[in-house]
Amino acid sequence: MSFLDRRDLLTGATALFGASLVAPLARAADIKAAEMAPGFAASHAAFTPEQRALVAAISERIVPTTDTPGAIAAGVPAFIEMMLADWYETTDRNDFMEGLGLVEGYARVQYEKSCANLTPEQLDVVLTLAMQGRIPALSRSFFEHCRQLVILGYYTSEIGCKQERVYVPVPGHYDGKYPYANVRRVFSS
Amino acid sequence: MATYDFDAIVIGSGVSGGWAAKELCEKGMKVLMLERGRMVEHRKDYITEGKGPWQLPYRGSLPPAEVERDYIMAKWGGANLTAQTHFYNNDRLNPIDFENSKPFRWVRPAQVGGKSLIWGRVALRWSAIDFEANKRDGHGSPWPITYDEIAPWYSYVEKYAGIAGSKENLPQLPDGEYQPPHPMNVAELWVKERLEKAIPGRKLISTRTANMTEDKPEQGRTRCQSRNMCARGCSFGAYFSTQAVTLPAARKTNNLTLLSDQVVTNLEYDPKTRRVTGVRAVDANTQEAKVYRSRIVFLCASTLASTQILLNSRVQGSEGSFADSSGTLGHYIMDHAFRTQFWGTVPDPELSPYIAYGRRPNGVYIPRFRNLSGQDADADFVRGYGMQGAAGRDPAGAPGFGKAMKEAMRGYGPWTIRFTAFAECLPYKDNTLTLNSNKLDRFGVPLAVFNVTFRDNEMRMMRDAALQGEAMMRAAGLEGVGSSNEEHVPGDAIHEMGGACMGADPRSSVVNRWSQAHDAANLFVTDGSQMASTSCVNPSMTFMALTARAADHAVKLVKAGTI
Repeated sequence: MSFLDRRDLLTGATALFGASLVAPLARAADIKAAEMAPGFAASHAAFTPEQRALVAAISERIVPTTDTPGAIAAGVPAFIEMMLADWYETTDRNDFMEGLGLVEGYARVQYEKSCANLTPEQLDVVLTLAMQGRIPALSRSFFEHCRQLVILGYYTSEIGCKQERVYVPVPGHYDGKYPYANVRRVFSS
Repeated sequence: MATYDFDAIVIGSGVSGGWAAKELCEKGMKVLMLERGRMVEHRKDYITEGKGPWQLPYRGSLPPAEVERDYIMAKWGGANLTAQTHFYNNDRLNPIDFENSKPFRWVRPAQVGGKSLIWGRVALRWSAIDFEANKRDGHGSPWPITYDEIAPWYSYVEKYAGIAGSKENLPQLPDGEYQPPHPMNVAELWVKERLEKAIPGRKLISTRTANMTEDKPEQGRTRCQSRNMCARGCSFGAYFSTQAVTLPAARKTNNLTLLSDQVVTNLEYDPKTRRVTGVRAVDANTQEAKVYRSRIVFLCASTLASTQILLNSRVQGSEGSFADSSGTLGHYIMDHAFRTQFWGTVPDPELSPYIAYGRRPNGVYIPRFRNLSGQDADADFVRGYGMQGAAGRDPAGAPGFGKAMKEAMRGYGPWTIRFTAFAECLPYKDNTLTLNSNKLDRFGVPLAVFNVTFRDNEMRMMRDAALQGEAMMRAAGLEGVGSSNEEHVPGDAIHEMGGACMGADPRSSVVNRWSQAHDAANLFVTDGSQMASTSCVNPSMTFMALTARAADHAVKLVKAGTI
């Protein structure tokens, strides 16, 4: 209802409650079983090995490893494959796959190698051209499509939430005048 | 002398059913509570509580194909979020008659606790103005009760439920029994100061909410921890739900029998004694039908489900419902119109060093200011609207890609405040819920057909709300002011009311001033279906107050041997 979204979270509760952690909170720490369920890993391959390598390479250029881990460490490529395999509608999936093919084709023509084997600098050039709508036949929306998938996957990953952003599962109270200087990061939700 | 399995049967376990069970059990009645949904135990069955986005299927968002297949109405209440999908009705398995209905969104829960687990928790009192409205402007049937009669019952339920709010001394939004309010943030305080100065009489307050700011150790409940994941269930018991509040109280008496997965199809009725003689339920898992008998029945299945059950309760040899001697059963279906928003951005650089820590469970509220003392000269509508909102800072968006983008996304965008208007809907007799006896659901109940539309008065109010909203944002000195009006579809606000309206006259209403059916002295209908108008404020506290009051009255009648 309000635009303060339904937010969620937990770990660190152990520190607050010690051994008396109630069952639902304790359960959140034991995630292994749930990860096998639908919505955690692709139910079938959406990519060929080459496409998978390409998506990984692009993801890592969009959110690179800096002082915090990047997209590959955060599992973004597998997230994207899961979304394409099990979440996407056919037309959107086809758009994405077609875009991947056009980017790959451009790399082979320009650099005579697969996109996944480009140097980071070369890949940045290709992504910049894609962003500017300067790759022949490639819809300008493809770059934004990729970018949003990577950003979504990264900032909802455990690494994105806990290492890139600040994760406070049980804040305990609300402070509507909290100095940004105390964190210099975004609180994840 | 009739024999009964129970003193009372409570149908439904949501906000109203929970209160009915608690009050009746505490007064010594042996109570059977029947719930159509599955069992959800406090704490144990809050399966998504405490999980981060990476621990939720699809990172929290159900695949669109599944949403469209199973949650075509429930998605408007949040069933599309995988953190809470399991708390919503499957609209494919339990449909309405989509083919013959005008657009309607019936957002139904699917478990013990009903919508009390997933409600928005806004906890407001109706005012004298609201209870007098039908009589004053001639729409619907006049309320037979006054604010002063209900006020002590508001106090009673507020104290036990634990409501946080500020006292404001406003006639249109009476004060209650409150714990300290949740704090407003720096931007909301900024807007409040300037708005209230620029427009004398206008108020911006912390939304009164059923999320506690103080512990209730005697109930085993802890104050809100600012997680804002209420709709997954709260193991702290920080907000009012059946599981956290009324069910434990009812169980403590040892007078409660709770059966889940029991779909009540109809009530059995004896026209000679004018009493409900049985409650027929079908087991959702085994399809086995059973009739339960009790001295009194509290029908609390929700506004629309209670109306549907009553419509399906026919006298033998008759097409009509036993509860419809007035001809108004299923009429006057209402909901708030609420798809109007407005917003603005705080331009003050002195606020930019600050962000919010924690995730507050409520927001801010602008109480009704239209048509308060008679008709405003510049208003082309009767009654009014309230506005719910909040200020916040979204994480900064950043263009491009790579290291620069990643670093830019460590900052925040500006403080923005955004409101949604909730407009009172007039009671229209031809806004109806009927049954299609040619189409039965999997339990043999005729499908509900909705012919409910908003009319000129609601549309004019929503236009006015957008204009007034923008004017307020500008008067407060905000920038980037805007508003939007989306399609208003009834049911969408999940504040549905009416269908078995309260009134003094049995010829024009279904229940009397005690929520007691005119046509059956041992039947009490205490959920939203009894509401004869909608006010513009959220209705749940009124459902609670009227239910507790009706239970008190019913037990007095039982003890006096009257029913």
